[in-house]
Amino acid sequence: MSSAETEFKPSAGCTMGVELELQILNSRDYNLARDAADLLELLGKVGHPGAIKPEITESMIELNSSIHETHGSLVTELRAIRDAITRSAQRLNLRIAGGGSHPFHLWSERRIYPTERFKHILDRYGYLAKQFTIFGQHVHIGCPGGDEAVYLTHLLARYTPHFVALSASSPFQQGEDTSYQSSRLNTVSAFPLSGQMPFVHSWSEFREYFWKMRGYGIVESMKDFYWDIRPRPEYGTVEIRVFDTPLSVERAAALAAYAQALARHLLKDRPRPPSREVYLLYNHNRFEACRYGLGGKLIDAATGRQVPLKDDVLETIALVAPHAAELGGFVALRELESQVRTGAGDAEWLRRAYRERGTLSDVARLQSDLWMGLARPAAR
Amino acid sequence: MRVAQEYGPFMIQLNFLPQFPLDASPLALFGLLLLAGVIGGELVRRVLRLPRIVGYVLVGLALGASGLNWLDSKLLTESWIFVDIALGLILFELGRRLDFAWLGREPWLAATAVLESALAFAFVFLALLYFGVEPLYAAVAASIAIATSPAVVLVVAQEIKAEGQVTERALNLTAMNSVIAFVSSTMLLAWLHHEYRASWATVVLHPVYLLAGSALLGFGASIVAMTLARWLRKTERGHLVVSLGLIVVTVGAARMFELSVVLALLAFGTLSKNLDRRHDLLPVDVGWIGQLFVVVLFVVSGASLNAAALATGGTLALVYVLARFAGKSLGVMSLTYLSGVRKGAAGLLCLALTPMSGTAVGMVHRTGQLYPDFGAKLAAIVLSAVLILELIGPVAVQFALKQAGEAAEDK
Repeated sequence: MSSAETEFKPSAGCTMGVELELQILNSRDYNLARDAADLLELLGKVGHPGAIKPEITESMIELNSSIHETHGSLVTELRAIRDAITRSAQRLNLRIAGGGSHPFHLWSERRIYPTERFKHILDRYGYLAKQFTIFGQHVHIGCPGGDEAVYLTHLLARYTPHFVALSASSPFQQGEDTSYQSSRLNTVSAFPLSGQMPFVHSWSEFREYFWKMRGYGIVESMKDFYWDIRPRPEYGTVEIRVFDTPLSVERAAALAAYAQALARHLLKDRPRPPSREVYLLYNHNRFEACRYGLGGKLIDAATGRQVPLKDDVLETIALVAPHAAELGGFVALRELESQVRTGAGDAEWLRRAYRERGTLSDVARLQSDLWMGLARPAAR
Repeated sequence: MRVAQEYGPFMIQLNFLPQFPLDASPLALFGLLLLAGVIGGELVRRVLRLPRIVGYVLVGLALGASGLNWLDSKLLTESWIFVDIALGLILFELGRRLDFAWLGREPWLAATAVLESALAFAFVFLALLYFGVEPLYAAVAASIAIATSPAVVLVVAQEIKAEGQVTERALNLTAMNSVIAFVSSTMLLAWLHHEYRASWATVVLHPVYLLAGSALLGFGASIVAMTLARWLRKTERGHLVVSLGLIVVTVGAARMFELSVVLALLAFGTLSKNLDRRHDLLPVDVGWIGQLFVVVLFVVSGASLNAAALATGGTLALVYVLARFAGKSLGVMSLTYLSGVRKGAAGLLCLALTPMSGTAVGMVHRTGQLYPDFGAKLAAIVLSAVLILELIGPVAVQFALKQAGEAAEDK
C-alpha cells in the first residue's frame, strides 16, 4: 500500500481553482437533457480551454479552471470556457445553465453516466446517486503544506454559512418551491460520508484517520469523503464544496475570490486556533444559511452571540478586503458586497423569474439564457 | 289494452329496437379499432419484442382487404376522420421539434436533409428507370420516396421515451424531408397536369395554391394559438385545449380548402414554436392523447394496404426500398463529419430514416384521385414498398434509438 494517497503536494499559497457542475437542458421544454457524451465528444473535437468532464448523470458536465493567482485571470478563463461550451451546446441544440438545482426535472428519469466509478456509486447508494443530479461549485485554495491545510479546513468551517448564503441558487427542486434558498445541500446530507472533517490537529493525525478508514474498507480515496470542506493532498489544496453553482461564471469567480481572500487572512493572520465549538454549532448555522440565505442568523462560536448572517458577511468582507486588494480581487468583493446589500442573490433572481413568467420551464430557459450570455444585462 | 286493440293482439311493434343490418356507428368503430390495435400491439411487444406499431399494422392487415375484409372501403372511409386527427397531432408535434434557430447554428443538418432527399430521389428514379419504369412514373414514385414517415419515427421515439442527438436529428430530418417530398411531388403533379393536357394556368396555380395555402393556414393557426395563449396566461390545461382545438380546426380547414394536411400542420407546429419570441405558448404534451388516435391510424393504414399487391409489385418494391435506403444513407453519411454528431451515430440515423407510411399512401391516393390510371400503376410499386417498410420501419427506428443509447431504461 503506497502512502502517495496522503502525500500532501505543497502548492504556492492562496492560489485558486474552480470546478463548476453545470446543467444540460433541451431547447424544447428546458427539462434536463441526456446529451453529456455527445457534448463532451464535440468539445473534444473542436477544442476548448480548461478541462471539461462528465459527472454522475448524463444531464451534467463539470468544467475545471486551471490554477489562478488573481481574480482577473480566473474570470477571463471561465468566460472563455463558457463561450466554448456554449458554442458546442448550440450546435447540438442544447442549453447550459447554472444554478444549484434544475427547477423541475424528476430524479427518477435521470441516467447514470456510464463510467466504472459512477456505476459503482449507483450500485452503492441506489436512488441517492440519481438524486445527486444537483450542481455545485467547488473552490480549491492552494496550501503550502498539510498542517496548514488542516488548520485552514477547521477555520473555514465557521464561514460555511457565508459560502452557502452567497451562492444559494437552488430554491426549486422537482417542480416545487422548497422554501429553502439552497435546497441542494439537503441532498448532499443524505450521503453517509458527508459532513465535516474530524477534529484532527495535524496532517499526520489526518493521515492516521484516513488509513484507518481505508483499512476498514469504508473509503478508497479522498474522493469518497463528501465533506463540506476537505483537504485534497494530491492537488495541495483545501476544497470548499458547499457553494451552489451560481447563475453566471462572473459570480463563480467572485465567490472564489472571496474564499481566496478569506483563506489568505486565515493563513497569514492566524486569528484563532481551531475550535470544537464551531463544529457544535456547525449544523445549526449551516441550516440557517440553507433555509433563509442571508436572512438567516448565525451563532458566533467565538462570542456566543447570535448575529444576522448578512451583517457577519459584510463585516468579513471588510475584514478581508485588504487581502483581496493584495491579491487583485478587490473588485470581486465590491460586487459581492453590493449583492448582499441589495439582496440580489441568485435564489431571489430565480423566484422573481418564476413570479414574472409563471412557469418553471420559463425559469429554466431564463437561467440558461443568463449562463450562456444570451440574456441582456438588464434581465439581471 | 287499447294499443293492442288498435294494432291487433299479436302485432306489438318493437320499433325501439335497431333495424338489421346494423348501421356501423363511427364511435363504435373507433373503439373497436382501438381495442383490436391495443391487443395486437401488446401481443407483438410481448411475444416478438417488437414495437407496438408493428402489431397495429398487422391487426389492420388481418382485418382489412388482405385478410378478413371486415374493414372494407366503406368503413375505412368512415374512419378517415380519426386518421386525420392522428396525423394532425403527430405533424403538429413534429413541427414543434423543427427548430429554425438550430438549423441556423448547425447548417449542416439542413444540408443533410437536402442531400439525403436529393440522393434518395436520384437513386430510386434511376433504379426504376433501369428496371424499365417510364420516367414520369419513376419520378413521382421517387419523389414519394423522399419522405420518412413522421408518424413512425415520432411514435416509436415516444414509446421508448428516446431523447438525444440521433432522436432529435432524425425528427428534424423527417420534418424537412416530408416538406421536400411534398413540394417535389406537387411540382411533379404539375408536370402530370401538362402531360394530361391541362391548361397552363392549372399547371402553375395548383402547386402554388397547395403550398402557399397550406403554409398560410398553418401561419394563421399559429397566430391564433399564440394570441389565445397570451390571453389565457400560463395554464397548462388551457394551452393543451387551445392546441388540440386548433389542430382539429386546421386539419378540417385543410380538407375543406383542398389543401395539404401534412404541410398545414407542420407549418402550424413549427411556426407556433419559431415565431413565439415571447414564449407565450407552453410546450404542451399531446402525446398521450395522440396515443389513442395513433393506434387507429396504424390499424387503418394496415387495413388499407393490400398484401396481394406484393405479388405484382414485389420485386420492384424491393428495388425501390433498397435504392431509397442507399440514397438516404449516402446523403447522411457524407455530411456526418461536418455536423456535430458523434461517430457511429450517422449509421443509426440512416436506419432511423427508413420508415414510410401514411403520408406516402396519402400522396398515392391524391395522384390516384386526379389521374386514376396513373395512380393504379404507381400504387403497385409504392404501396408494396410501404407495406414492407411499415413492418420493417418501426423495428429499424427502435433498434437505432436503443443502440444510440437514447431510449429510457426498461423498468
